[in-house]
Amino acid sequence: MQPIIEVKDVGVVYGDNTILEKITFDVYPGEILVIVGGSGSGKSVLLRQITGLEKPTTGTVIVQGQDLTSANNDEKRKIQKKFGILFQSSGLFASMTIAENISLLLESFTDLSEDEISDIIDIKLRAVGLDGFRNYLPSEISGGMKKRAALARALALDPDILFFDEPSSGLDPVTAASLDNLIKSLNESLGATMVVVSHDLASIGNIAHRVILLDKETKGIIAQGNAIEMKNNIENEKVYKFFNRIAY
Amino acid sequence: MSFIEPVTLDNSSGYNLEAIEKEINENTNILTCDLSDVKEYDSYLILFLDSLKELSKQKGIALNIIGVSPRMAKFIELFSRKESDIETNKAHPGFWETYFSHIGQLTIVGLQDMKLFIEFLGDIIAKFLALFIHPGKMRWKDFPFHLTKSGVNAVPIVTLIVFLIGMISGYQGAMQLRQVGADIYIADLIGLSITRELAPLMTAILIAGRSGSAFAAELGTMKVSDEIDALNSMGFDHIQFLVLPRIIAVMFAMPFLVLLANFAGIFGGLIAALSTLEITMTGYLNEMQKALSYGDIFSGLIKSVVFGFLVSAIGCFRGLQVRGGAESVGKYTTAAVVTGVLTIIIADAVFTFIFQALGI
Repeated sequence: MQPIIEVKDVGVVYGDNTILEKITFDVYPGEILVIVGGSGSGKSVLLRQITGLEKPTTGTVIVQGQDLTSANNDEKRKIQKKFGILFQSSGLFASMTIAENISLLLESFTDLSEDEISDIIDIKLRAVGLDGFRNYLPSEISGGMKKRAALARALALDPDILFFDEPSSGLDPVTAASLDNLIKSLNESLGATMVVVSHDLASIGNIAHRVILLDKETKGIIAQGNAIEMKNNIENEKVYKFFNRIAY
Repeated sequence: MSFIEPVTLDNSSGYNLEAIEKEINENTNILTCDLSDVKEYDSYLILFLDSLKELSKQKGIALNIIGVSPRMAKFIELFSRKESDIETNKAHPGFWETYFSHIGQLTIVGLQDMKLFIEFLGDIIAKFLALFIHPGKMRWKDFPFHLTKSGVNAVPIVTLIVFLIGMISGYQGAMQLRQVGADIYIADLIGLSITRELAPLMTAILIAGRSGSAFAAELGTMKVSDEIDALNSMGFDHIQFLVLPRIIAVMFAMPFLVLLANFAGIFGGLIAALSTLEITMTGYLNEMQKALSYGDIFSGLIKSVVFGFLVSAIGCFRGLQVRGGAESVGKYTTAAVVTGVLTIIIADAVFTFIFQALGI
């Protein structure tokens, strides 16, 4: 199968600090790939490179055959329109209502009428379980609802690829689990490819089709496979300890 | 040596390193420290053992620590300094080294800031010019909102401040002019100083404090809460979406604010003149008309547009520099005002030089 995203030899250096070195992996259409690693292992940094929010120091990121790293701003924006991103702190525009947050994309990038846009907003909000919250400001809803609203916005243009940066951070286990279920059901129903950055083991076990583990010391990928393989990987001590919550 | 109980911070006076040092002579090869009787201890034990390690290293003798219970060994392992820490702590730079390295670091940061700001200006100018070809690229919807916030809402404070400045200048000038019987020239003094310098400068400083800081705080908060990343990832350009509406609104508002400030300042001067000098309102206004040329008024208005651009661009630039959390927002908001005011004054000096060379 042809990969939808190809990450080749990506390295990231901030000043004198090397964060990532020679990261290479592929993401296949329809899968949920979870990037895991301890704090400071560069998970979120890697996500910023894959989504084109930052340009890696070395290496390339190819999305559906187009090189994101060498693309100019206009080309990059065209590629990014295929993405939906759920940020760690939701990234909802605080001065806009939930409906305005979603409609911004639809107004700017489609020729839909106001009524059609309004209907689509309702569809997206229903999909994430936020019926009736269209006129609320982000500050008026809870953390879990904010994530759902941000997910509805990420789904606005029916993206091919969805990225999630620590979706369960700051959420209680029950809310986190319901968000996981939502991610899973969206993947099954939409067939969208999903790349999730997380260190929540319960969430990883629940949603991941495939997992890659980043290591802070080697600044690279030290293992990849499914969550159960990782948990039972007794050959690699670091992998075993990470997935079995043992300090090292 | 053996220990007296308890080895705690409260009992630290019971331990004298100098006394131990005196006991070490040329024949001492090994310093044995017996901890077997120590039952009660706290972090002072770590402190004392570190001092002993340092002392034995200085004297070139071995240190043998015995009688360590398993529990104590765990305690020591957990709290002891690692060798790497000791190495780090060793290098304490002197006062002058710290002083000059601080100056050097500030210079580097200043130059880097300048480079980034020039790049940012280039980006803004390119995208501003691109608006003439694709005007729809900017979010015009936000323009009236920013115009109201930065322009209309600033009218009361700008007119009040410049009115007071005009009045103060009037009183100060009147005292001098009265001595030489040149009362009527108060109109020349007020008219020229307000229209050419004080109105544009004071308006720009007030806008730096109101809008420059607001822009930095707004964009900084958006940065912290991932809103700007979200915007970029959705295919929008944050310069066209957030920065240009703010800058264009301030540039548009500035000449109108300065015109109002001119009237307010001249009116303030009139009140001062009428109350202290023997001139009439008609005399003051006639003299003002003679003294002021269109060049005086337009030079102030041209300056105001440039000041507005600088103040708002610096506010946005500082806001986009925010990294991390709320503390960073505060830091860059302050920086927006300080850099804004400094830049306006430098720009004013440059304008004065240019206008003088051109004879305006």
